[in-house]
Amino acid sequence: MTRFIIYFFLLLCIGSESSAAENISPPQRIISLAPNTTEILFALGLGDRIVGVTTFCDYPQEAKAKPKIGGMSNPSLEAVVSLKPDLVVATTDGNPKEFVERLNSLNIKTFVFTARRLRELPHGIRELGAVVGAHQEAVKLAAGIEKAIEMHGRGVRGQGAGDKGQGSGTSKKVLFIVWPEPLIVAGPGTAMDDAIALLGYENIAHGAATAYPKYSIEEVLRRAPDVLFIGKATGMDMREVSQGFLKRLSLVPAVRNNKICYVSDNLYRLAPRVVRGIEELAECLK
Amino acid sequence: MRIFILVFVALFIFCCALFLGPQIITPGPLSTIEREILFSIRLPRVLVAMLMGMALGASGAVLQGILRNPLADPYILGISSGASLTAALGIIGGMSFLGSFTVPVLAFVGALVTGGIVGMMGWKRGGLWPERLLLAGVGLSFLFSALLMLMMSISTDEGLRRAMLWIFGDLSMSEWSRIPWGLAFVVIGIVLSATRARALNALILGDEFAHSLGFSPQRERFILFVSVGLLTAASVSLGGMIGFIGLLIPHIMRFFMGSDSRMLIPASALGGGSLLCIADLVSRSVLPPMELPAGVVTAIIGAPYFLYLLRKKDVLGI
Repeated sequence: MTRFIIYFFLLLCIGSESSAAENISPPQRIISLAPNTTEILFALGLGDRIVGVTTFCDYPQEAKAKPKIGGMSNPSLEAVVSLKPDLVVATTDGNPKEFVERLNSLNIKTFVFTARRLRELPHGIRELGAVVGAHQEAVKLAAGIEKAIEMHGRGVRGQGAGDKGQGSGTSKKVLFIVWPEPLIVAGPGTAMDDAIALLGYENIAHGAATAYPKYSIEEVLRRAPDVLFIGKATGMDMREVSQGFLKRLSLVPAVRNNKICYVSDNLYRLAPRVVRGIEELAECLK
Repeated sequence: MRIFILVFVALFIFCCALFLGPQIITPGPLSTIEREILFSIRLPRVLVAMLMGMALGASGAVLQGILRNPLADPYILGISSGASLTAALGIIGGMSFLGSFTVPVLAFVGALVTGGIVGMMGWKRGGLWPERLLLAGVGLSFLFSALLMLMMSISTDEGLRRAMLWIFGDLSMSEWSRIPWGLAFVVIGIVLSATRARALNALILGDEFAHSLGFSPQRERFILFVSVGLLTAASVSLGGMIGFIGLLIPHIMRFFMGSDSRMLIPASALGGGSLLCIADLVSRSVLPPMELPAGVVTAIIGAPYFLYLLRKKDVLGI
């Protein structure tokens, strides 16, 4: 009988402990609805707690092994619900708003990552860190990114002092090519555009109407960029793919002076990797 | 007489498309950059637009005749869906075994294979039958479109947008190296169908009628079908799918030129070429430096004009 009483109390203790813990304990089953939030969560050391990602989430390597819940614009509600998440991380940049509303109506906790620009990334990481209970890691990660942004920005200002300001007339013109045929480039609002501006250069596609415009080849010839960046695409040899395209641009200074840089896809997603992406651009522009 | 006016109009539009745009090139002494833009980028592009438009217009006129159906267009036979499928496979799968020729060649092969399948399906009792061709084409077209959508919905690659842009019609990749091939197939197709224009006139009136005039309906229909296949395959591989021209340019030309195929085929070719040149000019001038899909612009310009003619004129039919 005493044994039963002891068990009973033990059970009570466990029960009360777990319910108390639920209020303060961080989410244990996280689903990420975008590749960049997946990367951030992994960078915060939360890989073990991620129970679902999109089919686009391919970085880091471990993300590929996670259960898939569909694409970014068309995640499967059933797949998400069946994984019993206690937090779903969505973005304003790619996930439908209705999907998040639907999750909320099913009493699934969501966090919406709103950062879209390079300078908004550290703040976004800190916010996300607070929600997933990785506050310290997030502060550290964000500080690292802020420091890198600060450092690259400062280097430019030091250089620009001699050139008398940062007028667009004096700065070098560059273009970041996402795909050569048809020509798709990084326009305003992309991390590439922000990184180019940060480094004190002028993105010739900055005035385009959309983030990834299909760009006019004639206009590239006219605006005569001094440097061309060519981004990476999965499973493709970009040197081979862009050969014909570069031949047509033989009059552009970047091609004439062989200032063509094949860079990685580090800047394609607003995630901690952008720091390496900025370094790559800076390295090439030296 | 009217055909000469059309030739003149087409030439005028060709020159406009060549020199106009967001940046107007004034003939006369040109800077190096302007010369490069004019000869290496604009000229091949405008030529491709002209060739594609001609191929679509002419094949539309022929096809509406051999199928005896005013709703027929070069895409109804599934040829373009087959081409889109193989091209998308190449783009999403990242194939580049022939360099920049890979996707056009894949599209061309896809188009010819699909044309062959449609021909086989439409073949019965020693000849091609219009209804069978039409139904086989529609069936295949649904199948290939579904496969294409399936591929796109499971594709995780960034190749998706590139494939979409290609399918919606893209003239920005036009290079000189493609033009001889395109030109050869378009010329063969148009000449082949134009020399059979009298037979086509007879076929429109019925097989018995054609027979009594001394034409072998099955033989003529086969030759015309081959020419349509060549024209469509050439146009799709030059620049993807451009809607509207193949369906409605022949009708617009019938309003002006009458239904005689001897006039209608060259007129539809000229009209189609001119319209695509204008559409391409608009597509690169509206939101510079961004370019819009030429196929979309073609329909936005062409459809209201067609509807206006439909209200105003009193003829319709093949």
